[in-house]
Amino acid sequence: MSQNAEHVLDHFELFRGPEYKEMLAKKREQFEDPVPATEVERIREWTKTPEYREKNFGREALTINPAKACQPLGAVFAAAGFERTLPFVHGSQGCVAYYRSHFSRHFKEPTSCVSSSMTEDAAVFGGQNNMIDGLANAYNLYKPKMISVSTTCMAEVIGDDLNAFIKNSKEKGSVPLDFDVPFAHTPAFVGSHVTGYDNVMKGILEHFWDGKAGTVPKTERVPNESINFIGGFDGYTVGNLREVKRLLTLMGVEHTILADNSDTWDTPTDGEFRMYDGGTTLEEAANSVHAKATISMQEFCTEKTLNYISGRGQQVAAFNHPVGVAGTDKLLMEISRITGKPIPDSITKERGRLVDAIGDSSAHIHGKKFAIYGDPDLTLGLAGFLMELGAEPVHILSTNGGKLWEQRVKTLLASSPFGANCHAYAGKDLWHMRSLLFTEPVDFLIGNTYGKYLERDTGTPLIRIGFPIFDRHHHHRYPIWGYQGGLNVLVWILDKIFDEIDRSTNVPSKTDFSFDIIR
Amino acid sequence: MSNLSNKVQEVFNEPGCGTNQGKSEKERKKGCTKQLQPGAAAGGCAFDGAKIALQPITDVAHLVHGPTACEGNSWDNRGSKSSGPHLYRTSFTTDINEHDVVFGGEKHLYRSIKEIIEKYNPPAVFVYQTCVPAMIGDDIESVCKAASQKFGKPVIPVNSPGFVGPKNLGNKLAGEAMLDYVIGTEEPEFTTPYDINIIGEYNLSGELWQVKPLLDELGIRILACISGDARYHQVASSHRARAAMMVCSKAMINIARKMEERYSIPFFEGSFYGVSDMSESLRGIAKLLVGRGAPEELIGRTEAVVTREEARAWQRLAPYREHLQGKRVLLITGGVKSWSVVAALQEVGLEIVGTSVKKSTKEDKERIKEIMGDDAHMIDDMTPREMYKVLKEARADIMLSGGRTQFVALKAKMPWLDINQERHHAYAGYEGMVDLVHEIDKSLRNPVWEQVRRPAPWEQTVPAGGRAVRAA
Repeated sequence: MSQNAEHVLDHFELFRGPEYKEMLAKKREQFEDPVPATEVERIREWTKTPEYREKNFGREALTINPAKACQPLGAVFAAAGFERTLPFVHGSQGCVAYYRSHFSRHFKEPTSCVSSSMTEDAAVFGGQNNMIDGLANAYNLYKPKMISVSTTCMAEVIGDDLNAFIKNSKEKGSVPLDFDVPFAHTPAFVGSHVTGYDNVMKGILEHFWDGKAGTVPKTERVPNESINFIGGFDGYTVGNLREVKRLLTLMGVEHTILADNSDTWDTPTDGEFRMYDGGTTLEEAANSVHAKATISMQEFCTEKTLNYISGRGQQVAAFNHPVGVAGTDKLLMEISRITGKPIPDSITKERGRLVDAIGDSSAHIHGKKFAIYGDPDLTLGLAGFLMELGAEPVHILSTNGGKLWEQRVKTLLASSPFGANCHAYAGKDLWHMRSLLFTEPVDFLIGNTYGKYLERDTGTPLIRIGFPIFDRHHHHRYPIWGYQGGLNVLVWILDKIFDEIDRSTNVPSKTDFSFDIIR
Repeated sequence: MSNLSNKVQEVFNEPGCGTNQGKSEKERKKGCTKQLQPGAAAGGCAFDGAKIALQPITDVAHLVHGPTACEGNSWDNRGSKSSGPHLYRTSFTTDINEHDVVFGGEKHLYRSIKEIIEKYNPPAVFVYQTCVPAMIGDDIESVCKAASQKFGKPVIPVNSPGFVGPKNLGNKLAGEAMLDYVIGTEEPEFTTPYDINIIGEYNLSGELWQVKPLLDELGIRILACISGDARYHQVASSHRARAAMMVCSKAMINIARKMEERYSIPFFEGSFYGVSDMSESLRGIAKLLVGRGAPEELIGRTEAVVTREEARAWQRLAPYREHLQGKRVLLITGGVKSWSVVAALQEVGLEIVGTSVKKSTKEDKERIKEIMGDDAHMIDDMTPREMYKVLKEARADIMLSGGRTQFVALKAKMPWLDINQERHHAYAGYEGMVDLVHEIDKSLRNPVWEQVRRPAPWEQTVPAGGRAVRAA
């Protein structure tokens, strides 16, 4: 046998040994009733055809490889952006383990989050007791300053009333009466993680602005010169929010970042474990009602939130994850318009540098065809940037995009000749994308880690931009907003283009005639 | 050094060079290049010129005798392509140190040659002299001679240290090395009445391969290309060609002229850039070959190919004419012949608002006048600052230039297309012209140019020369 105790082989090597190869082949032949290899090949080829694509797009019930996550994930994301706040998910504990591992695999940081660990009896009798015990334990064990409650499907299906449960818990002494416990209903069977973000953000603001669930008087808004800034659910939150803060500081704009999780998911290794780090302070959250305006970087992450904020008398402005020169221009000018602060020369210079970099490299990107998938706002931002570079988006797909998103994409595409041959696919999944890539091939695919299967299947090189990125490290530390961020995205795209040129020219004496030093 | 000074003087006296012949005796003695101005930006040195001229010979080990910088900066930096061996892309240098400077580097050089021959066994080793060993008196000619005898293999000294002058002089000194030590030292396996040499073509981006299929079709054999995609044996036996075409007159005119003198190989100067220039070149080759005894019918066959290829090229270019008609081009080139590119671009309706003549001969300038008219805007040697000014004033739609001026163009908000040696697209022949026009068309349509010409939207003033281009 290839395995022995002296030298145990790991999974990379084990099944490559001749014994295993032979054994697996025999097993297949003798016991698996195999379909002939030619037949497998025939079907494989058939799945690449327009005929199969039609059947694939005819799917009504089944979702295959969705590019979206659930509301509670977004809920935890938003809650984690506040000072010493423990996200508390009312429902089953397994869900929470998923959110924590999901974030930790992406951000390479621990994520603090607890659940009320509902079980079968809770599902029958309601989860109130779990809430009462859960809040008490969480409060005593982890010493948070705030507990943000959201839900999983389980609690939503049986219709648990969070407002009443929290009130009752406080009366039972789980947490002090004046302890902040904002809440939001976030069922996974409605919307996606961007919806969950929206709900929790709105829940937390309502809590602080509208009298903490009736326990104190509603805050009277006294407008000041400050602005609020909401990033939305964003895999690049660590780099992006720091970049935004830098830009706003350069402009001299007084600001509050709502749900600032840039430090939450980027703590130093210095011998101290920080269960909580950074975040929007509760005082800032409460005072943010007085701001002049609120800017959201992601329209689809803040539909309800902005609606609520605007109802409280603030100006609101929503963007679609702007990336690149024109997108950043619009953002900064809007900030400048609202605050009356001019854009300083130092930022104008950064802009010029990005334009310069694009000019240096545009010939390599011009006319390249791209497929993009991801969250609604991110796909819009990236598509805008690609067209700015002279690239041609061809397929834009968003599993959690809806009719309004599709409309936004169409408007964007119509604004440039480079968008002429592109289609938006709302509500479609990555198996749809597979058919698109086979029947209308593109040069590059932009998406999250799960795109690597598409890359392998279709041979379309994947540029990893999105959430989650599990198989490449630390990209989340780089901004993709601001001119600096545009530069990062430009470099990631270029790196892949050059890697591909090298890859297609690197076989000695076969293709390396064009394996050049200078590109 | 006296040997080298003689060589330099000899090269300066090149009778094939029109500029040189136009000078007085006294002027000629001063040399054919402008004295470098200390403190002013300058181009490459004679070593660089020699290295880039010969590096495209693919099966040779190119050994640079000097400190690491000379080879380090020139290693594999030209994009001249090979259809076979890749030894020319391996970096060989003696990488001399303080000890060598004090005690002399000749032994070090000898041992390096020995190791190359032992490890790689190439058909020949070219040894390039650089400033430091030249100054301490390393005699590379003697070392090469000794090594040749010892190892029974051509070891060729290329004596062109950087300080003797500019890049162009180095090109010519490299040519001299070929004439002195390589050409005529071997015999081809067979000869045909259709054998030609192409001189001064470096197969950058594989441009030779855009031309070769047409020559193949006509039954014309490239006995040697000096030096693009060449093998040592081809160069060594190139003296048996029936005719030669000289592609870049400035670089290797001495090779063409001396081969005519020594071996009676007639040559003409031609270009592969542009539809009509390409046709003229094919006709020129056919004419010379027939003059040397090739069957008369070659002329007729050549005309047939020219007619067919021109029609095909025009048909493919026609759709671009519509976009490009009236678009204004500023041409700043070094190695690529300005006039041939000018003619080529005019063919698709582009208007040339200015062209550089830095490396052009008097004849070149005459040709440019012929093509562009008397008011031709010729731009001589130019500092980046002046260039920037010209670009801003030129109000051109696009600039075609080498990589070094790319950045000036970009800062002056000028669309730019690389047409010098570091480019990645091949623009030679009928095929190349279609590619060039396609690239120009693409560049003009790139949205970034609209972007660079617009100030930040919060800035009110439109800078001079800021002229918007349409996105499509």
